[in-house]
Amino acid sequence: MIRGFHDNHKGFYVHNRKNMDDASAEETAFVVDEVSSIVKDSIEGAIGGNIYQQNRVSMWTSNVVEQCLSQLSKLGKPFKYIVTCIIVQKNGAGLQSASSCFWDNTTDGSCTVRWENKSIYCIVSVFGLAI
Amino acid sequence: METEASTYLIRPKHKFKAGVAKEFMREILREGLTGVQYNPDEIPTLTRSLAESIKKKLKGVGFERYKIIVQVVIGEQRGEGVKMAARCLWDADTDSYAQEIYMNDSLFCVAVAFGVYYY
Repeated sequence: MIRGFHDNHKGFYVHNRKNMDDASAEETAFVVDEVSSIVKDSIEGAIGGNIYQQNRVSMWTSNVVEQCLSQLSKLGKPFKYIVTCIIVQKNGAGLQSASSCFWDNTTDGSCTVRWENKSIYCIVSVFGLAI
Repeated sequence: METEASTYLIRPKHKFKAGVAKEFMREILREGLTGVQYNPDEIPTLTRSLAESIKKKLKGVGFERYKIIVQVVIGEQRGEGVKMAARCLWDADTDSYAQEIYMNDSLFCVAVAFGVYYY
C-alpha cells in the first residue's frame, strides 16, 4: 500500500519523502540576508522620507507588511510567513521588542530589521516556518 | 533500498484556540506588569522573560503539532503614537493568532502569539 488513509486519523503515508533532500539546501532554507534586504526595500518604499503623521500610520504599516509578504511569497519557498511591523513616533520614549519561538531550529528562522529616519522608528520582524 | 515513511496529518485534531491563548496571555501580562514602571535597564530582561513564559505556558496547554511564535513589545507611555500590524501567509484553516494589550501609567505592552500547524 503506497498511499492510503489510516483508520482513526485523517492522514496518509507518503513514501520517498527523503527525495526532498536531493534539492539544493539553498532552496528550502530560511536565508536571513535575503529576507532582510527584502524587508529593507519594503520599508524604504513605503515610508522612506516621510514624517510621522497620525492619520497615515495605519496605511504605512499595512503597506510595509503587504509589500514584504508579496516579495517573500515570490521567492517560492515552501514556507509559511508571519510579518509584524511596529511604527513608533520619535519623541524620546523607549521601546523594547522580544520574541520567543517554539519551532524546528534546523528549518525555521526569523529576521528582525530596525529602521529609522528623523521622526519615525520602524521595527519589522519576519518569521519563516517550513512546511 | 530503504525508504522512510512520513505521516502527514493535514488537519489538526485540536485547533489552536485563540480564546484560550488570549486568557493565558492576559494573566501573564497582568502578573508581570502590574505596578511596574518603565525602567530602561530592566525592561529588556522583563520583555524577554514575558515572551518566554507565554511560550512555555502555551506549550504546556498542549496544542499538538503546532509551532508557536510569541512576540512581546513594551514601550514607554509618553504620548507618542504607535501602530503595530501583522500579516501572515499561512493556511487559514489550521493557523491562528491571539493578541493581548496591557497598559498602565508608565508603559504599554502588546503581546501576540501565533500558532502555525505542522502538517
